[in-house]
Amino acid sequence: MIQETVDNAMGIAKMGAGLGAGLAVIGAGLGIGKIGGSSADGIARQPEAAAEIRGASIIFAALIEGVALFAIVIALLIIVLPGKL
Amino acid sequence: MSWLRYLLIAVLILVPVWMGSHFVVHHDSDPSNPFLPLFEHLMPATLVTDPHPEPGETPQPMLAITVPGPAAFDAVPEQPGTQFVLTNLQLFQIAAALLVIVCFSGVPSYLRTGRGDRLTRLFAGFALWLRDDVIYPAMGAKVGKKFLPYFLALFFFILFMNLLGLVPGGATATASVFVTAGLALLTLLMMVFGGMIAQGPFTYWKTLVPHVPIAIWPIMFVVELVGIFVKPFALMIRLFANMTGGHMVVLSFMGLLFLVANLAGTAWSWASSPVLVGFAVFIMIIEAFVALLQAYVFTMLSVLFIQASVHPEH
Repeated sequence: MIQETVDNAMGIAKMGAGLGAGLAVIGAGLGIGKIGGSSADGIARQPEAAAEIRGASIIFAALIEGVALFAIVIALLIIVLPGKL
Repeated sequence: MSWLRYLLIAVLILVPVWMGSHFVVHHDSDPSNPFLPLFEHLMPATLVTDPHPEPGETPQPMLAITVPGPAAFDAVPEQPGTQFVLTNLQLFQIAAALLVIVCFSGVPSYLRTGRGDRLTRLFAGFALWLRDDVIYPAMGAKVGKKFLPYFLALFFFILFMNLLGLVPGGATATASVFVTAGLALLTLLMMVFGGMIAQGPFTYWKTLVPHVPIAIWPIMFVVELVGIFVKPFALMIRLFANMTGGHMVVLSFMGLLFLVANLAGTAWSWASSPVLVGFAVFIMIIEAFVALLQAYVFTMLSVLFIQASVHPEH
């Protein structure tokens, strides 16, 4: 009985981790997509500033990706440390 | 002397690969879950003196030093005290540091005289790009010159650790959160002490908060104080998760092969192998780009954070 409950709880925890990873990807995809679109716009309008725009957009993409990776790491912890959290 | 440099590079890549794959305990395959033994390779493996112990005998670590420290860092729970052991990650860290020295040994004389072999010219150009296009535009030549050795060392150390993880048999030292935490701690110390030296110890803490109404000053001070620690923490997680994530995807594709073999038989596994190995190769190509990009991002963000604490906005 108790074992069954624990197994069910673990299943829900794993589902939560998967949902969390997916939601993080949605957020990061929206953010990086917006940066990519805007930087393409900027380069098209002002091709001589292409190098600067590209450098800046890599930095912004890295900042957004960092936030998404926080979520991924937490999702990973749910899977890796089942008994400890 | 050019051949000697290439020989040293080959030795510095092959020796850690050989030691890291020969002196570690090998994982048993698990038919019920083929992914777990593969994912074990993401963890640091302790180097042991005898990789094939007799039955009933536990393998002895190659090096175990008792150090003062919390029990969370204890690698050998059987022995008293906190044990520091040699793992394959440390091999690759040492190799990366030595590779930086070997690759850059000709650069000073090349910059002075203009004579150097192909390898020297490559890395001199790389270092000059980092100085002229990344560090000086962000920090200015005067302050940038003082921090330049740190950023160059940081960039090439991370780059070589990332690239050594792509060598067959290699281990990625930056895929361990402890290694990236050490690197991020260096940036944290540079931020705090660089700011305190550049502005004076009291002015630094006073100008931490920009001009705000006096009522919300305490809240802003706490926010900024937390921000100091969150920035290097984000650096740590970013590098660690990028490196681990790429390897985990590649290992998952490899694990799918064994899963198909368990579920449907070896013939189906062979049939699906071109697709799965093709995907794994594709991810490896992306990882080679990410190895370069993450070294750049870590260095660039360190530049921005240190710049912001050395020269605050008024």
